Amino acid sequence: MADIIKQIYNAVVEGKVEEASSAVQDALNSGLEADEILNKSLISAMDLVGQRFGEGEIFIPQVLWSAKAMQAAMDLLKPHFTSSRSKDVGKVVIGTARGDIHDIGKNLVAIMLEGAGFQVIDLGVDVEPEGFVEKAIEEKADVIAVSALLTTTMQSMGDVVSLVKERNLPSVKVIIGGAPVDGAFCEEIGADAYGIDAMDGVRKVKELLSR
Amino acid sequence: METSLNHLCVPRFELLDESQILRLHHAALRILGEVGVKVNHQRAVDLLAGHGAKVDADNIVKIPQFLVEEAIRSAPSDLIIYNRKKEPVMELGGKRIYFGTGTDLPKTIDLVTRKVRDTTSDDVILSTIISDAMPDIDFIGSFGLPKDIRPGLHYIKCFELEVRNSAKPIFFTAGSEKDLNVILDMASTVAGGDEELSRFPFLIHYSEPTSPLTHSKEALAKLLLCSERKIPVNYTPALLAGSTGPVTLAGSLGVAVAEALSGLVIHQLANRGSPIITGVAATAMDMLHATVSYSAPEFRLTHSAYAELFHYYNLPIWGTAGCSDAQFPDLQAGAEYGFSLLSAALDGANLIHDCGYLGQGFIASPEMIVFANEVIGMVKRYLSGFSIDDAHLALDVVRSVGPGGHFLGEKHTLDFFKQEHWRPSLFNRENLPNWIKKGSKTLDQKLVEKALEISKTHKPEPLSSTVSEELDRIWDKISSQMEK
Repeated sequence: MADIIKQIYNAVVEGKVEEASSAVQDALNSGLEADEILNKSLISAMDLVGQRFGEGEIFIPQVLWSAKAMQAAMDLLKPHFTSSRSKDVGKVVIGTARGDIHDIGKNLVAIMLEGAGFQVIDLGVDVEPEGFVEKAIEEKADVIAVSALLTTTMQSMGDVVSLVKERNLPSVKVIIGGAPVDGAFCEEIGADAYGIDAMDGVRKVKELLSR
Repeated sequence: METSLNHLCVPRFELLDESQILRLHHAALRILGEVGVKVNHQRAVDLLAGHGAKVDADNIVKIPQFLVEEAIRSAPSDLIIYNRKKEPVMELGGKRIYFGTGTDLPKTIDLVTRKVRDTTSDDVILSTIISDAMPDIDFIGSFGLPKDIRPGLHYIKCFELEVRNSAKPIFFTAGSEKDLNVILDMASTVAGGDEELSRFPFLIHYSEPTSPLTHSKEALAKLLLCSERKIPVNYTPALLAGSTGPVTLAGSLGVAVAEALSGLVIHQLANRGSPIITGVAATAMDMLHATVSYSAPEFRLTHSAYAELFHYYNLPIWGTAGCSDAQFPDLQAGAEYGFSLLSAALDGANLIHDCGYLGQGFIASPEMIVFANEVIGMVKRYLSGFSIDDAHLALDVVRSVGPGGHFLGEKHTLDFFKQEHWRPSLFNRENLPNWIKKGSKTLDQKLVEKALEISKTHKPEPLSSTVSEELDRIWDKISSQMEK
């Protein structure tokens, strides 16, 4: 049993998607619980990946392939979860701010979030504030994540925050990110957090949900 | 499959065309034939006279063209330099580039106090350890000229400290034939005998003619000794345009090349086929401050010109770069290091020395060795160019991603990012918030920290205890002789 857990762990750390899938399938076939597979191999594997990335030992493409392996494993596990906690590590609605079609940063955050086990609903680019909020209500999301590259489009992030307040959704947190965004702007518009970069964004989402 | 396409796109630089190369060559030949060089060493004069050179009064020797062209042919065009462990680590020749420090800097910028002070033997150890740890520093020099060791012994001490603290090839100077002999004894001890030393040379001696057109007795004694013992020697003039050479770059090149070629002739006449690295340094004298510029743009032009001429001769050549006229590791130093290292690398000079120099060849800066290493990494990446084959053009990947997608998650990205993109180890690429979070460190701070860290943590491969004790014995013997 320990062997198959180790095998899944290694496949995710090394970003081997097919190996991760087949090892997870083997584990399920041999009668292991989905919760146990998630907790004992996938989460700790992604923790190691995050740590290595933070220390400059591995690079973005490698993190993405680990995240892909994690996602492939999660897809197989989802139908088998028993506890409510692991069913719902957290749900994030993500998109770029109104008027902004620069999405590479948003894509990075989305992949990193998925890699950390979150369910991510990607609304794409140029999303109206209403679009974020409606989707968050519909999906019972925990977090709205808004990305912007331009100083002109970042202004609409404030509209997202106001709308969340207007609709009285205290459980929905708003996180913002992108090159022009900083702590002062985050405070000014009343967002719950901002991420310095993609990894920091994931860290902040985890912090918001553990409060 | 496209058969006519050269897949590799690499930066190239060319200063002279063939007629210009020949013009320079012929100018040097005319200087040697019509003006001659002063040869202050009787055996060298006899060798030249015995092979057809004309000796005038005051040992002015006029060297005929055929002797020069014979020497160019008989000197090895490809010279393998080994490390202390007899592994081949530098193949000098062609346009292969290697980088290292230099020798004899009397002052050092202290890593801790940040003040300029006299160089000591501890600094020689420190720079050797730093050079040993730097992947793009291929050979080491003493860097400093230690003030705590008496003249006559300091070159011997430097060599001993270097060979104890690094296995990399050593580029070294000597005061005279006498200390050169002691150093070669030490080297022979390390190699396991004279024959092994000439078979697997891990050292290069540096000696030089004196501009204009003079070979001193000591320089020739060392040149002849190396030639006879088949020890690789670097015999290159350092000429100053406007004072020890004509003010014009072409005029300076003619004189300096004549000096280098006459040294080559003497070296080859003493022992045909013996290993030599040749070339020149011809820079501008600063006409306001009467100083030697290590970073003048004119120096880069003469460097490129002689490099092309000596490549035409198909001889291993030395080079100069990674040095600055600034007295401190400042913006001027950064600009001059970057410019000179890129230029020398584009020239394809083989043995590029002086990395870590500041203050016009007076000040050793240990952290600037670390800086040079970083720039060399960048320059090497630039010079390796890029491939334009199907796998690198990646049209299939573009097709599969399409407009509006992204390439971050592609297998192609994972497969190629490491080889295709250079990553700095010290230059900043953090975004502003992360940079502030990590202490807002500027490069000069990071360089000092890195140099200090290496000095504490890097452990060079030690010599065997037998060799180590034998070196002690040689040192004790020569130092007690000198005390008498």
